[in-house]
Amino acid sequence: MADFEGLYNYWIVIVLAMAGLYIVIARGNLIKKLVGLNIFQASVFVLYISFSKVSGGTAPILEKGIDVYSNPLPHVLILTAIVVGVATTALGLALVVRIRKEYGTIEEDDIHSQDESM
Amino acid sequence: MKDYLVLRVITKLLVPFILLFGLYVQFHGDFGPGGGFQAGVIFAAGFVLYAMVFGVASAQRILPEGILRAGIAGGVLIYASVGLLGLILGENYLNYSPLSHVSKEGQHLGIFLIELGVGTTVASVMMTVFFTFATWREK
Repeated sequence: MADFEGLYNYWIVIVLAMAGLYIVIARGNLIKKLVGLNIFQASVFVLYISFSKVSGGTAPILEKGIDVYSNPLPHVLILTAIVVGVATTALGLALVVRIRKEYGTIEEDDIHSQDESM
Repeated sequence: MKDYLVLRVITKLLVPFILLFGLYVQFHGDFGPGGGFQAGVIFAAGFVLYAMVFGVASAQRILPEGILRAGIAGGVLIYASVGLLGLILGENYLNYSPLSHVSKEGQHLGIFLIELGVGTTVASVMMTVFFTFATWREK
């Protein structure tokens, strides 16, 4: 039981990742797919931030009396990943807007059926 | 959403504090958690909230597209030119030490200017993305 509680963050990561992956695969609506992608992304952020935490550590800023600090490298990595995530979301939404303009729908099944009829 | 009195009043109250908090995160970034990325997003969030309640047109009256475009390019320009300044003064690219006669003061000034550039670009990009999607109309 103690192990289960100690790994609380990682259970959340697994749940979020699987929920996000399921949405990406199972939903036909392109906007919902993007939401799933974002949930998956959030799980990766939580994973990296969790394993860079050093118990008892503070923010990695040089000051007197501070010896233990969290690993800053994963934090920087995830800061970049968040920015990239925003950019990919914006790109995905722009593509959805274009698809909606061209096909008149954002449901994957409808898009496929329209493509085959051409 | 212009008809909802509560939303309008709360937004009017909140926006200055959101912008102020954005500036705090920006300028406190070299002493504690914070920095240009976060500050830019918080700053942009204030304008996005305003645009959602009062309409995109009135938000764009304060920040027209030209200013945002200039912000995107200008932030990158500040970042690059601070880096080049270190190169010109005889050190490596993005070495802030020669910016002042005291090495530590130079580093302080350098990271301040770099984060200013990052914040300007991030805020401008976020607002441009929002305004672009919000003003898009099917032709």
